[in-house]
Amino acid sequence: MPTVRLRDASEYPEPARRLFELSRQWFAYEFKEPPAMSRVMAWDPHFGGPHGRAMKRAMAPGEFSRAEKEMVAAAVSGANACTY
Amino acid sequence: MTGDDSWYEAAFVVGITNALNVVADGLGGGVMPPVDPDTAPADVATVFAEIRSFYGSATPGARLGGGQVPKPFGIIAHDAAYLADVWAAVKRAFTDRRLTRRHKTALAFAVSLTTRSVFGTAFHLAELRRLGVGEGGVMEIIGVTQTFSSYTKIADTLQLSSDMADIAPVDTSGVPDASA
Repeated sequence: MPTVRLRDASEYPEPARRLFELSRQWFAYEFKEPPAMSRVMAWDPHFGGPHGRAMKRAMAPGEFSRAEKEMVAAAVSGANACTY
Repeated sequence: MTGDDSWYEAAFVVGITNALNVVADGLGGGVMPPVDPDTAPADVATVFAEIRSFYGSATPGARLGGGQVPKPFGIIAHDAAYLADVWAAVKRAFTDRRLTRRHKTALAFAVSLTTRSVFGTAFHLAELRRLGVGEGGVMEIIGVTQTFSSYTKIADTLQLSSDMADIAPVDTSGVPDASA
């Protein structure tokens, strides 16, 4: 049970909702609502914006592919005992 | 990377990496001295030779191991049969299969960094470089590790439930023939 009430996308102001479109493009998946983490990060675009850009920069194809990096991210999440 | 076999391989790398780090970080630094390669019994020396070959005997990574044999192997070499089995598992885990050794080493580096393993972080960083990964590639893995170490703690603090776990296709194939 989350410690906060996760707002529906429609409750966010328009600038924040634009982040959800970027999120949809990133995941290339049609969620009923934007993923919980996307909605959390959109709570404060001044934090979520640069944080998301840093993540996307790190995850972009380079010496390692996006797929390889997704697996690294999963391993890091596992090492952090995070089920999300 | 939709097949389960890739994820099994990744899990084995993560597990055995943690196993090596536990011994190296916990028992290294003089707590339990490694077996001296120069005076090792024949059965241990045979395994040490394989290890040197796998990692390269004159690399920064090998030197980090306290000589030509990485530290955790030297420490567990006090039981030759145990060393042989652990080494066989490590070699199998890191050998190129569905995932490349380079990618597996990146996984090991990321997990070692995440778990604050001094040995594992330095060792697998040296291995990444030995395998040809440039500073840009190293920084990519550091970036992924750092940003997802942030996401995971945000998710845990807010106790979020996963809403992305079921978006990947299910692998309905059977268990592969490991001898193939």
